[in-house]
Amino acid sequence: MQLTTRNTRFQRPAARGQLGRAIRYLGNYPRLTLYAAVALLIATAAQLAVPQLVENIIETITSNTVRQTILTQVPEGMQGAAAERLGLDPTTLQLSLDNAPRALLIAGVIIVAFAIARGLFSFVQTYLSQNLSQYIAFDLRNDLFAKIQRLSFSYHDRNQTGQLMVRATDDVERLRLFIGQGLLLALQALVLLVGTLVILFLTNLKLTLIVLPILPLSLIIFVIFGAVTQPLFQEVQIRLSRVNTTLQENLAGIKVVKAFAREPHEKQRFGRGIDSLREQMLKVSRTMTFLFPLVFLIANVGQALILYYGGVEIVEGQLTLGEWQKFSLYLIYIFLPLGQLGFIISLMAQAAASAQRIFEILDAKNEVENKPGAVALDEIDGRVAFENVTFRYFGSGEAVLRNVSFTAEPGQTIALLGATGSGKTTIINLMPRFYDVSEGRVLIDGQDVRDVTLDSLRRQIGIVLQETTLFSGTIRDNIAFGRPEASDEEIVAAAQAAAAHDFITSFPQGYDTLVGERGSTLSGGQKQRIAIARALLLNPRILIMDDSTSSVDLNTEYQIQKALDRLMQGRTSFVIAQRISTVINADQILVLDRGGIVARGTHEELLEDSPIYAEIYHSQLEK
Amino acid sequence: MLNRQAEFLGIEVIKARDVRVTLKRFWDYFGRHKLLLLLVAVFVVAGTWAQVIIPDLTGQVVDCYLQPVVSGFLTGGTQGIEGTQGTDSSSQSSPSSLSSANCWYTTPDADAGRDQVIQGLAGLILLIGGLYVGAAVFSGFQFYLMTWAGQTVLRDLRADIFRHIHQLGLSYFTTHEAGDVMSRLTNDTDTINQVIGFGLVSVVQGVLLIVWIVYTMFTKSVAYALISLVTLPLMFITTQWFSNQARKAFRRARQEMGSVNAGLQENIAAVRETQAFSREEENIELFRVSNAANRDANVRAQVFTSALAPTLEALSYVSLAVVAGVGGFLILTGQDLWGTTVSLGLIVTFIAYTQQFNRPVQQIALLWTNIQSAIAGGERIFDFLDVEPDLSDKPGAQVMPPIQGHVQFEDVRAEYNRGEPVLRGICLEARPGQTIAIVGPTGAGKTTMINLLARFYDVTGGRITIDGVDVRDVTQASLRQQIGIVLQDTFLFSDTILNNIRYGRLEATDEEVIEAAKLAHADSFISRLPEGYQTVLGERGSGLSQGQRQLLAIARVALANPRILILDEATSSVDTRTERQIQAALDELLHGRTSFVIAHRLSTIRHADQVLVLDQGQIIERGRHDELLAAGGFYHDLYMSQFRRQIEEEEEVVAAAEWVMGD
Repeated sequence: MQLTTRNTRFQRPAARGQLGRAIRYLGNYPRLTLYAAVALLIATAAQLAVPQLVENIIETITSNTVRQTILTQVPEGMQGAAAERLGLDPTTLQLSLDNAPRALLIAGVIIVAFAIARGLFSFVQTYLSQNLSQYIAFDLRNDLFAKIQRLSFSYHDRNQTGQLMVRATDDVERLRLFIGQGLLLALQALVLLVGTLVILFLTNLKLTLIVLPILPLSLIIFVIFGAVTQPLFQEVQIRLSRVNTTLQENLAGIKVVKAFAREPHEKQRFGRGIDSLREQMLKVSRTMTFLFPLVFLIANVGQALILYYGGVEIVEGQLTLGEWQKFSLYLIYIFLPLGQLGFIISLMAQAAASAQRIFEILDAKNEVENKPGAVALDEIDGRVAFENVTFRYFGSGEAVLRNVSFTAEPGQTIALLGATGSGKTTIINLMPRFYDVSEGRVLIDGQDVRDVTLDSLRRQIGIVLQETTLFSGTIRDNIAFGRPEASDEEIVAAAQAAAAHDFITSFPQGYDTLVGERGSTLSGGQKQRIAIARALLLNPRILIMDDSTSSVDLNTEYQIQKALDRLMQGRTSFVIAQRISTVINADQILVLDRGGIVARGTHEELLEDSPIYAEIYHSQLEK
Repeated sequence: MLNRQAEFLGIEVIKARDVRVTLKRFWDYFGRHKLLLLLVAVFVVAGTWAQVIIPDLTGQVVDCYLQPVVSGFLTGGTQGIEGTQGTDSSSQSSPSSLSSANCWYTTPDADAGRDQVIQGLAGLILLIGGLYVGAAVFSGFQFYLMTWAGQTVLRDLRADIFRHIHQLGLSYFTTHEAGDVMSRLTNDTDTINQVIGFGLVSVVQGVLLIVWIVYTMFTKSVAYALISLVTLPLMFITTQWFSNQARKAFRRARQEMGSVNAGLQENIAAVRETQAFSREEENIELFRVSNAANRDANVRAQVFTSALAPTLEALSYVSLAVVAGVGGFLILTGQDLWGTTVSLGLIVTFIAYTQQFNRPVQQIALLWTNIQSAIAGGERIFDFLDVEPDLSDKPGAQVMPPIQGHVQFEDVRAEYNRGEPVLRGICLEARPGQTIAIVGPTGAGKTTMINLLARFYDVTGGRITIDGVDVRDVTQASLRQQIGIVLQDTFLFSDTILNNIRYGRLEATDEEVIEAAKLAHADSFISRLPEGYQTVLGERGSGLSQGQRQLLAIARVALANPRILILDEATSSVDTRTERQIQAALDELLHGRTSFVIAHRLSTIRHADQVLVLDQGQIIERGRHDELLAAGGFYHDLYMSQFRRQIEEEEEVVAAAEWVMGD
């Protein structure tokens, strides 16, 4: 019984730096990453050049205006002195003024040329980083899917589809957004900041020193808010998962919801879920409400301070207007990235929370996997032996199977009999290694199932599970599920053996009929027969049937039973038996009670020796 | 199988759509918070005002303080006060004057000393700083209020989607993937979530800022403003074009995302089958294909969204060049610009404006990807909400009065696809308390009959009445509350066992739940679980055997205590030992209720008041078991082929038991 309590579902490793792991996925695309980085550098360099160009043009205007003023307003004799005071060459005043329009034009053209370069490279940088983010999301989703596909049954017992879904979709998307936008912005900001600082230092050391304290201040804010918001975002994702689980259940169980007219109840439940999600989002936004304006404020106050000190220096004649303009133009490039800090923090905290959730799955220990050096299982004869097998489900102390031993010879039919929950299904689950034994060994042809590869093992075991799950796709696809390369003849033969051929061909599209999700377009009996055909197509040496003929009408069941009887010939078959006829014909009957074999033998032997068997048997009589 | 899935999803064609329609739909949600939005608008206006006024004041720092001082050095020799005065008086007309008339805040006194100038400067900058603080406070408020509105809208959207899921009825979900619907509720709402708080405020404020800057530019100088905004039409056209392309691409991308989700959903849910058949590698490969299609669709969309911001930025540099170039040229040549005198201060101010202008444009462009994606997401959500439920309560539908249990089918016809009747000419009458057994081969229409009775589908001809009331005239909820159904597949929620049983009647006490469990013979296995009734079931009741799940389903119905009971092959998959007990429980449950049983058990059929034999959508024989058997028709044949084996089995058992006893 794979029961779980809610609080043990996910262990949360206090893993910082999971975001770094996600970023390292960039290494899968070194060329793309390199190009993006180069484009980023060039684009940022171009951005840094623009203020210089603007300053040039202003300087050109100012100096020439001043020249003009000197020439027109200053008395002839004082012109030279005035020009010298302003650092202009008194002899070329008129000449420079004549050339001014040309100089302006050139400066303008240069700006436009730079604008084009900047535009081009910043496009390349954005496009490539978006591409990278898509590629990484693609990788992560593939990795998640592959991992989820391979994680053992016990993991899936503990985790719900809706929760896993959120991680593969929403969490990946958040991470992608960060890599595509946040990371880019952060890098851009860093490059811009460093570049600007260098320029500012060279321009005016004193003014730069006034700006500097703002940087560690911003860093502190960055770290603090990052640390505060990340757990908040983690909680958002958890609540989102809950909403999704409710949704998922309502989609899967819509008929039950409707049958009990529980729409209002479900709406309430869902309503609580989305309300609590909204609450958490608002909690996040309350934090952000401080963060965003604060960051902007720091940037702006910094600018105002510089304006003041710069102004004072100008008044005191220690700074020219042009120099000051240049300095304050570059100042924007210090404060622009700082202003984006809030946005970056928000994206980063979300991404870090999501990265942790993603890597939780990718790092999940698979309880059932190939041993190092596992060998492929050769074609088997079908001898199955359980040696003192004890099994308990993850995290539960009580054993579901206790000290079970038996041997099935090739070709034998073993009937498993017992009350609901006595451990029949568990025995069956251990053979294809859906779970691993806790103690003892399961041997097939003398080989421990844990020593061979899962694939080679499972391909030789045909299973009809308790529940029939079909996949969307055609009936043909579904029958060929275990052997996609099977020919049409083989598929039809399997369908015929499972008494499915007739109803399949009665559909207008025959084997190409599309099966809705979970086989919603087929009746229970039809689904089951397809599931049987699916197992038979494998032509397995070992056949496992759990409740295989439960929801088929009796006529069909009879046909299937006959087909199965034929098919069990020569294969080792394990049947969880509901029908007394199956039991009577079995080579061995194992009677289970509370995880132990309480009786074994043939029908006649058991009837004689086992009171419990007799009881089960007699209960049929009183009908 | 995923490619097939895409085909399946292909039903949803890409519709070219007007963005305004989608935006209008969003507005329907936002409009509910008009007062709050008004408040936000006030903050936005105030914040924007601060953002506009600040560069103006910054310009004044240059124009009214620094420039006069600089010029002062020239004209006055030492302090230059006289000279400045002289030029100031003629500043309106003289093109050579560097001061302009926009010193509305304060100018240094003409005879101010250096300290006084610095003091004035400090005052001005203090004002600027104060405005920054005010702007920060405003933007904090507006951010929070907007997030509140946004999250509330998102919540309402989610609630509406959820409600719609229940309204849609079963037929929708037989043709649409649950994963795709999931995707709309998760991914598509998430794209909206990405934009709705920070994004929306930025965009609204950005747009307002742009408008305001443009307006202020015009008030300063119409002519110079026109020059500065020469690139604006280009910006509009570019944005328009890129967004149209991006939205188209995103529509495709979101669809691909839907099929990725459907693939995920299906394969996660069915992971046990996959492993049982060693299909992992194939599935991973198939998923990779659809995942790659999704990636490529997104990459294509990124071309357009990535190009937008750089294009706009480049255009803004061009206007910077134009502002500086043209302005400088005019100053130097001393020309007027259509009557406007260009001062150095004006140029500096306009350069500041152009850069101010660039900031919201960049911000919006940065968010543009998300916005386009959100609009595409919104379209898909509204598309889903627009799907007409094929079955809904009539306007003015009454509440079904307490049911006595008199059920009539009058010439009922049903078809899932037009022209392909699954049932036709069905007439029957069940008196209160009667048990009706429905038998027939697979596909005869048995399940359809009970689906019609519970109104999961509507009849396409004839009518079904309960106590003389047409089931279509009453509300679905009031009808189904009085009908108990044990379905073929038992669905359990991942919740405690107690709550799963309680699903039958939410207000039931724990004692009543346990009572029902006892009636259904579920109590014994539940009590054996370590946590008993508080055991939390895994997804879909994993952890329990099918038999146990069925017991819980029966307990659930027993708790509901309905007047009409529908059983669909409920007893088939419980082991023989338990089955007998269930049979007894069901007999008890059936007693005194009108019951419809899709019967596979001979005993049920024998005890039924009426046996209906269905074949190819028609009732071909009816009567009691022995009557039908005696008539020697279809039922007789069915009986001989189906139940003979059961009888034989029973006889075998009898023989064996006799053998044991005789021993």
